[in-house]
Amino acid sequence: MILYLTTILLLLLIAPILLSFIKSLKMIWLFKRPSSIFQGYRNFSKLLTKETIISQESSSITRYAPFLVLSPLLITMFFLPPIVEGAYYVSFVDAFTITGLISLSTFFLMLLGLDSASAFGGMGSSREAFISALVEPAMVLTIFSVSMMAGNLGVGQAGVNLAEHFPKEHMASFIFAGISFFILLLAENGRIPIDNPETHLELTMVHEAMILDITGVYLAIIETASSVKFVIFSSLFVSLFMPWGLELYAPMAILVFIVKLFIVATVVALLEVNMAKLRLFKVPNLLGIAIVFAFLSLITFYVLGA
Amino acid sequence: MVDFYIGLFLASLIVALFTTRLFRLLMWYSFNSLMLGLLALIIGIEFNDDGLIITGVLTIIVKSLAIPYFLKKFSQQFHIVREIQPEIKVQYAIMLIPAILVFTFYLAEPITNMILNNSNHIAISISSLFLSLLLMMEHKNVAPKVIGFLSMENSLFLLGVTATEGMPMIVELGIFFDLLMAIVVINLLFTREEIKND
Repeated sequence: MILYLTTILLLLLIAPILLSFIKSLKMIWLFKRPSSIFQGYRNFSKLLTKETIISQESSSITRYAPFLVLSPLLITMFFLPPIVEGAYYVSFVDAFTITGLISLSTFFLMLLGLDSASAFGGMGSSREAFISALVEPAMVLTIFSVSMMAGNLGVGQAGVNLAEHFPKEHMASFIFAGISFFILLLAENGRIPIDNPETHLELTMVHEAMILDITGVYLAIIETASSVKFVIFSSLFVSLFMPWGLELYAPMAILVFIVKLFIVATVVALLEVNMAKLRLFKVPNLLGIAIVFAFLSLITFYVLGA
Repeated sequence: MVDFYIGLFLASLIVALFTTRLFRLLMWYSFNSLMLGLLALIIGIEFNDDGLIITGVLTIIVKSLAIPYFLKKFSQQFHIVREIQPEIKVQYAIMLIPAILVFTFYLAEPITNMILNNSNHIAISISSLFLSLLLMMEHKNVAPKVIGFLSMENSLFLLGVTATEGMPMIVELGIFFDLLMAIVVINLLFTREEIKND
């Protein structure tokens, strides 16, 4: 139980560092002077001291939506697979629950965008709805197919089973699921081929457009929510698709897990430096590829057993 | 480990079906051939078959390095159109590709019943044959059609390696020679394309 709570705390602490790490790595590769990897914490503490202003046109939704954006993600953190062998975990939560909780958070984010009735907010919300509608089927299919390979529908139990018995005989469908999940990781967190997290140019904003009107503590909460979302996705990726090193001595296993999280962040940064943002109407093509791979991994598993 | 490379082989072929840029397509073809070469190397080491090891090394050198390099050079030299838009829309391709795969998996069932070990590799290689046919069909320009032809050859090679534990080496070398001849013919086609462009 102590390990379980420590893990969750650790993931929460590491969440802002991961996003700042991606940012500073990108700056190094673009020959700029990198920002500190603790920039996330600095932004957070600065935003806490700032005055919170709410638009006069907005209703009460703006006041409670930020908490409802963050809380489903915090609940999801309790359902993640364990990172150390023998730690406590919740075994019965399946793909539908996790996808549902994440889309609940997205739903309140979209409401927040619509609420202040600015043109940008509505545009951002409509784009977010468009993207997340395409992400959900692929995500359910992918996690479902991995759970089938692991032999248990619960995500936590699936992670444990994969660590105990790596499915070498299902390697082909495992790879397909991995590719699909990585595309979803990029899409859901608004990384570069789908959405540019650093821009404030009206043509390209998706996530930023929804939170333009928000200041102070609420902005801090939303920023935390987006970093927590990234940590959820990357730790799901790590424990489902790189499930080794769990059986080590507990501090060592945690260290290995963190290193793997940073590897995922490095790959994301590498992709961001090398790719241009897709046009919005090309995004369905990329997510279509994700759906194809998710479906493929299911049918290669069922039909071929490979 | 064999399944790992076969998975990456099929995955790179599927991604190649969605690419809209010529050089990216060449890169995916190169990756595809690299996976094939590594697969041949691993099977060759496993069965201690020198012929298969040599073919694997040759595949990596010729197909994953030389052919993409020369095709890139030719296409730069002849100013081939580098923006290749698939004729089949992505929405339809998303439905078509799984349909093709499911269809071929059942199509290959009589064959797989005859072979005892790694029977599913045959289904995957036949389906990759169909996918490379689709790659040839969905493009108008010459250059992607050439890539489709080459990846069709790759999937035949995969069939040979996985189903029969390696064809005789002389056959493989003959195929390589064939390919080099094909590249010469392709060069002629590229010249014609250039005339049409002017």
